[in-house]
Amino acid sequence: MDLLLLQSIWLVPCYALAGAALSVLWFPSIARRTGPRPAGYTNVVMTFLAFLHSLIALPATWHQPPQQFFFPWLNVANLDLTLPLEASSLNIGAMVLVTGLNLLAQIYAIGYMEMDWGWARFFSLLALFEAGLCALALCNSLFFSYIILEILTLGTYLLVGVWFNQSLVVTGARDAFLTKRVGDLFLLMGVVALLPLAGTWDFTELAVWAQTAEVDPTVITLVGLALIAGPMGKCAQFPLHLWLDEAMEGPLPSTILRNSVVVATGAWVLIKLEPVLALSPVVMATLVWIGGITAVGGSLIAIAQIDLKRTLSYSVSAYMGLVFIAVGTGQSEAALLLVLTHAVAIALLVMSLGGIIWNSITQDITQLGGLWSRRPVSGLAFLVGTTGLIALPPFGSFWALLKLADGLWATQPWLVGLVLLVNGLTAFSLTRVFSRIFGGQAHPMAQRSPEISWTMALPMMVLLGVVLHTPLVLQALSLLPVWTDLNKDVALLLLWSSVFGCSLGAVVYLGSAVPKPVQFPWKPLQDLLSYDFYTAQIYRMSIVLGVDLVSRLTSWFDRYLVDGFINFLGIATLFGGEGLKYSTSGRGQSYALTIVVGAVLVGCLVMWSS
Amino acid sequence: MQLQYFLILAAALFCIGIFGLITSRNAVRVLMSIELMLNAVNLNLMAFSNYLDAQDVKGQVFTTFVIAIAAAEAAVGLAIVLAIYRNRDTVDMEQFNLLKW
Repeated sequence: MDLLLLQSIWLVPCYALAGAALSVLWFPSIARRTGPRPAGYTNVVMTFLAFLHSLIALPATWHQPPQQFFFPWLNVANLDLTLPLEASSLNIGAMVLVTGLNLLAQIYAIGYMEMDWGWARFFSLLALFEAGLCALALCNSLFFSYIILEILTLGTYLLVGVWFNQSLVVTGARDAFLTKRVGDLFLLMGVVALLPLAGTWDFTELAVWAQTAEVDPTVITLVGLALIAGPMGKCAQFPLHLWLDEAMEGPLPSTILRNSVVVATGAWVLIKLEPVLALSPVVMATLVWIGGITAVGGSLIAIAQIDLKRTLSYSVSAYMGLVFIAVGTGQSEAALLLVLTHAVAIALLVMSLGGIIWNSITQDITQLGGLWSRRPVSGLAFLVGTTGLIALPPFGSFWALLKLADGLWATQPWLVGLVLLVNGLTAFSLTRVFSRIFGGQAHPMAQRSPEISWTMALPMMVLLGVVLHTPLVLQALSLLPVWTDLNKDVALLLLWSSVFGCSLGAVVYLGSAVPKPVQFPWKPLQDLLSYDFYTAQIYRMSIVLGVDLVSRLTSWFDRYLVDGFINFLGIATLFGGEGLKYSTSGRGQSYALTIVVGAVLVGCLVMWSS
Repeated sequence: MQLQYFLILAAALFCIGIFGLITSRNAVRVLMSIELMLNAVNLNLMAFSNYLDAQDVKGQVFTTFVIAIAAAEAAVGLAIVLAIYRNRDTVDMEQFNLLKW
């Protein structure tokens, strides 16, 4: 049975696509009487099928060599574009994660989108994402990964822009599309430039090629930089990070998916490209620097946000930065482990906050407070998500961060300090959010705040269980380091950074020693962080300004110089005719004079030439 | 006597005719200038026929034709001038610039 399912594993993305296609039936303009709900139910069923399929197929891959499937797509001249799929336990595990999280997010959305008419569009886009993510997980070719990434970029545009009557949604969707698109285009340059070097786009063959490759260091550095530019945009890394902040304008259930797995698509491609990137030390150093700057910057910015969803989006950037560091130092396993633990934990956090937003309307954390006694389930979910995200043994991310820090300990100790800093800052930030929502006095917006309905609570509780069980599952699969091999110093340091961050956050925000709209001693720094280093202004003053000016200039050039030259020819002909017609004077004698002058001239010409 | 002198005289007469043709304001004087030019041509024809074709004197035949045609042309020309004069009450060439651009 499971072998059969493994053979047909390529069906998993097709379930979601079928769901997306079926949703069209319940568009408000088509099903005018019945309402949009069946679209959601259909997609949940399809996702559940996909989840079951991949879950049952997973054990069949255990300790087995990866299965390869090939689908011929296009074969022209010397280019063979065959779609290679690989079914290893890692790929199918990723699909279980994607379909599982999407199943929970969709059940959550059934509750969250209760008062909304746009189910068909929303759920079909969620299904498109699920299909894309599963296809990306299966796909074993850089070229086809690029295609899927681009489709997902389009999906992001549509999904962020679901409620397009809001102006901020429209600008957010625009930025999300363009920023990710720029990264993708650089990735395309890298993809195209890699083929003549390696002769293949197959990830496995690329890894084999990279082992013995001898290429010009400059060339491979440039190609490597182009290859990381795509994931940089996808993972919302500095300086292509603004889109994730603005993408928080989209519907919350899609945020669950985006923050947990969609941003990880870049990391996934990056991890698969790690052997190629490792050919150039400059690229690896760039990865570490980008990741490091994003991790520290993102976690600092997260602390200074007052919008519930944005406090999490910057933490996502920060953790993806840690994944970049992991890949940049050659620790693919730590990166994968971090992606997994981060995905489940951040999904739980977003679900918990979504429940708060649903019943308290405001997203401003200064308007909330005192919800712990009335909303224990949401609070508990947030707490568990926090423990799953920061390095707190025995929960998931502790092991991932420990693995990362352990690998850095011997080679680059300063990066361990950076990991500790990021972990401490994230712990502080999450404790701050928890304290502002669940602790302290209830503000008017949070005076009467009932607990959420079962459709939202159920996926939250299931995910809470998943987060709690993640370390047990990892242990059962012997993916955790053995206790005796552990670097106890690093583990202690990580633990202390978490404890320090959490307790500092609790002291500042739960205690009464600090006046409540907390003022940083130096106001400009607080503003700098809360406005995200003024990134929007930086974009507007640099890239946007430049492109805008150049396009205005070319438009002017086209309108006045190019068009003007051609129009000048026409006008010159017109005026020539208008002016020369006066040679027809209407006097017979002047015509006679013209004839005589012409005859004399011809005569002179004939005489001269002879 | 040489042929050139006749030709030069004829050319001078022709140029005087052209000058008159272009500068005269009176339409009748324009016709007279045309007569001058035709006579210059006749002089040419006669000279050529005398010096170059003494045997067949085709030039003289040509001249006879030209004189006949010129007479007819002058008659038609004067008729046209008269027709214009009836309508416009003038024979000033400066007034006849209606058919311009």
